[in-house]
Amino acid sequence: MRSEFAVEARYRVASVVATGFAVLILVYLALPLFVIVPLSFSDQSYLSFPPTGWSTKWFTRIAENPVWLQAAINSLIIGVPVAFFSMVLGTLAALAVTRGGLARAGLVSVLVVAPMMLPHVILAIGLYPLLLKFGVLGTHVGAIIGHTIIGVPLVFITVNAALAGYSDSLELAAMTLGADPWRTFRTVTFPMVRVGIIVGGILAFASSFDELMLALFLTGAGTRTLPRLMWEQLNDYLTPTIAAVATLVFAFTLVLLAAATALQSRARRGLGPRRAAADDRGAS
Amino acid sequence: MNGHGAKLALVGVEKRYGDITALHATDLEVKPGEFFSLIGPSGSGKTTLLGTIAGLTPPSAGRIEVDGEDIARLPPYRRNVGMVFQNYALFPHMSVFDNVAFPLRARKIASAEIAARVERMLKTVRLPDVAARRPTQLSGGQQQRIALARAAVYDPRILLMDEPLGALDKNLREEMQFEIKAFHRQIASTVLYVTHDQDEATTMSDRIAIMNEGRVVACGAPRELYEHPVNAFTASFLGSANLFAIAPDERIVPGPAHVRLASGAMLNAVVATQAQTTRGSHVACVRPEAIRIAPSGTMAEGDEWNAMEGRVADVVYTAGTVRYQVDVGDGTAVTTRQPAIRRTPLFERAQPVTLAWPASATLVISRD
Repeated sequence: MRSEFAVEARYRVASVVATGFAVLILVYLALPLFVIVPLSFSDQSYLSFPPTGWSTKWFTRIAENPVWLQAAINSLIIGVPVAFFSMVLGTLAALAVTRGGLARAGLVSVLVVAPMMLPHVILAIGLYPLLLKFGVLGTHVGAIIGHTIIGVPLVFITVNAALAGYSDSLELAAMTLGADPWRTFRTVTFPMVRVGIIVGGILAFASSFDELMLALFLTGAGTRTLPRLMWEQLNDYLTPTIAAVATLVFAFTLVLLAAATALQSRARRGLGPRRAAADDRGAS
Repeated sequence: MNGHGAKLALVGVEKRYGDITALHATDLEVKPGEFFSLIGPSGSGKTTLLGTIAGLTPPSAGRIEVDGEDIARLPPYRRNVGMVFQNYALFPHMSVFDNVAFPLRARKIASAEIAARVERMLKTVRLPDVAARRPTQLSGGQQQRIALARAAVYDPRILLMDEPLGALDKNLREEMQFEIKAFHRQIASTVLYVTHDQDEATTMSDRIAIMNEGRVVACGAPRELYEHPVNAFTASFLGSANLFAIAPDERIVPGPAHVRLASGAMLNAVVATQAQTTRGSHVACVRPEAIRIAPSGTMAEGDEWNAMEGRVADVVYTAGTVRYQVDVGDGTAVTTRQPAIRRTPLFERAQPVTLAWPASATLVISRD
């Protein structure tokens, strides 16, 4: 609970120096975007900054070349199942660790989160012979397996945060009231962590959609994803087409993150006092 | 409402975590419809005991019988035992109506009947108009009443309450004590109530069990427990007590006695029948309100009275009563509590006084 003193003693984030510093950091973080977005509208046929003239021809160029569309479709074919499997596995892992009373919950947590810390190249090198052996190397399935490994920790973390946000006495109460474990999950646990699951799923999708290293190792010519195609094109042709694709990917990711943020802040409000409109529904 | 509670009997119920025993083999019987409280310091095992009955902490051994049927191995959702949690545990994502309807829906009751029962229950807890609200829109006291309604709407055989008033402030707590008592009379369920607040327990309960270190150390009606404490712990846990150590070689025989204290002084006392007479150390227990205080030399010892001279070491005034700590020599402080009558002067610090109390109020009990 927030202390009553907090209003007086809050950090003075409003001071000029602190604000200036914060703005600098934000500029630094966003700097690549300030370069890439203008580049994509350049009228020159090579990457030079700042552009001397403006055009949208690079976006037209993408639409004309079916290779980009195919890569985007591949990214979706891989990203959507990755989000789904990450949500299922990550949620189950979070439930086991936070509510399951495991003897080694700390160790399990570390193992689940480890792929996030691990360099992707190491994961890729490990997965390569394994997927080769099972004959799924270069297929969508192989990439889905690889990306799910890095997606699970993201869901695990968001669902854990959601579970930490309320007391397990809610579930215990549901059980004493006569709800069996499945009903307890359906009517209490799931509604409480739903937003965490969805936000984690969006993050898992986004990380699959942006991922390059595993895609380089695990996808083939027919299954290559957008980041991989960008990488390949970058080596061969240094045209603003790349910047245009990057701008599109950036815009798409931005929409996803905005959706995740909106969901989270709505969930926070939803559990607080509700407006009068919600009260008029009556007891039904 | 079915209008009767079940009989609850614990037989050798025990809870171990590895080498640690949270609850030693415990026998306990709660009568149908009784309001029974468990009190004790934190870590004394009272919540563990409650958990074994609710099914949240499965016992390591023993039987839990509700009207003769052993429920110790049943999962919580098959026990039909109601439980009110300290933090209410209302579902924040559901309306008040859905919260109270939750146990009925889990029992697959028809929705028309659910609506009727929820409505009736909300009337019983005197909150008929909040059905559409969220729990977070209610005050602490209101949330507590909704938690009660939810735990009782399905006529559970036993209603468990785990420090349900712990989160409320003092005035609201006293109000809710009466509410819960009235509620108990209305639903006539068997209630097992856990609290660490002895006043709360004595106010509300038909009987109380005092727990310490994973055991029930005493059990009885509030007045019986207060007037016949079994040992020094129960004497000082329920109410406050002056405990005078008895000389270790003193012969302890039940009945009226003239006992020698470890300090050498003599007291006229009554030895409790359950005091262990063979071995172990003993104390003489005197309740603060039994001790009169007067200016030095005005009261004398007799066959039926004890008297001690001392100096007032501390005076504490609390609304309507005054508590004196009197130093009676060799570092022993005796506490006495008196009604403080309007405009009557109090004794002052360092003032010499005489303390006197009847022999019948001096109970010799075992230390342990």
